[in-house]
Amino acid sequence: MDERSDNDLVQASRQGDRTAYAGLVGRHYGEVFLVCLGVLGNVHDAEDVAQDAMIKGFERIRQLRQGSQFGGWVIAIAKNLSVNLLRSRRPAPTTLGIEPISHEHPGEAAHEDLQWAVAQLRWDLRLPLVMYYFDGQNVKAVAEKLDISTSGVYQKLRTAVKELHDILTMQGDTP
Amino acid sequence: MNRPCPDRRDAIVDYMLGALDARQAGALREHLAECSGCREYLASLQEQSESLIDLGREVRSGMAARQERVIEALREVAPVRSHTRLALPFLGGVLKTAVAAVIVLAAGIGIGRWTAPRPVDVEQLRADLESSILASLAPAVQQRVLGQVDQRLLTALSANDAKLRADLGRQVHEDLCLLAAQSRADSEELVRLKFGELVDLIEAARSTDRQQVAKALDQIRMQTGRGLYTLAVRANDSTADLRN
Repeated sequence: MDERSDNDLVQASRQGDRTAYAGLVGRHYGEVFLVCLGVLGNVHDAEDVAQDAMIKGFERIRQLRQGSQFGGWVIAIAKNLSVNLLRSRRPAPTTLGIEPISHEHPGEAAHEDLQWAVAQLRWDLRLPLVMYYFDGQNVKAVAEKLDISTSGVYQKLRTAVKELHDILTMQGDTP
Repeated sequence: MNRPCPDRRDAIVDYMLGALDARQAGALREHLAECSGCREYLASLQEQSESLIDLGREVRSGMAARQERVIEALREVAPVRSHTRLALPFLGGVLKTAVAAVIVLAAGIGIGRWTAPRPVDVEQLRADLESSILASLAPAVQQRVLGQVDQRLLTALSANDAKLRADLGRQVHEDLCLLAAQSRADSEELVRLKFGELVDLIEAARSTDRQQVAKALDQIRMQTGRGLYTLAVRANDSTADLRN
């Protein structure tokens, strides 16, 4: 892991230093991917768009004035790309498409019903839900990454949790 | 499963998310102790949360491979050179002001020349205008020119409409202040070129309108008599100051 600050890595990346930018990828890719997954509701789409966002971040690195703001900046790029893709695609995905860690049961998707239910949520509810549960259950961190208030995150989470439960219950299945 | 109390559902979710304060959490716990429907709802939500956390773990397990693919894809791209913004958004305003300023100066010079005994020397007039404007926009003298232009406007337009004078004066001041604040190195050459073209245009226009101007000036002189003569002498003096 590169010990340099984001600002130092951004300055080096401006000169075309791919190693420095790889340090930024290592530090921020996870959040970028989760934002894409949260909006798009599908792992394969999220992988494509997250990669696109990181590449655009490198191409446009000279437009970033404050190197320390890289995280929020690249997340905003990822979110915009994801929302644009979602709007251009109908219908919405039917499952998250997450593969299980263990392969004891090949072909069996992890928490299949839950993935299906999460994919049914509106993207603006799914996004904070995915970021909260998939990345450490920290409301304050989610609020900072999405640039919204903590009370706003709680409100979205509450609605998402209830709707998700309703979807699963109506499906005749409890997680 | 028993249904939870409808008016408690939000509080149960908030409780699970840790969003209730101590008093609210205590009140809910008292209710949960007595209501099996709400207890079952909370247990089901907690189970759902655990499943989501598991799912998150599965998602993160593939993160390193995804990152590697991104880093691999980066080999094909490079930062795009940022474009220095050469466009000067206020240039239109400056040119407009310059046109106004040149017209005013030309009118001042013209009045002096037309009323003076010697004939008009068009080439000399063009050279005077060009050197005056270019010198005015050189960075080192911009601030001094602000005062000169204002003074010249007031002098040359003293006999004209008050509103026109105020508008032109304000426009000259605002635009030249903006110009002074801009990057001089980037704008100097562009402004110099534009003013060269501008002087040519004005000269061409002046040549065709000279007869009409002369006629109009004669009419004005007949109407205003000695007042115009005084104005012409002052304008001529002011022009000589600018050239010097």
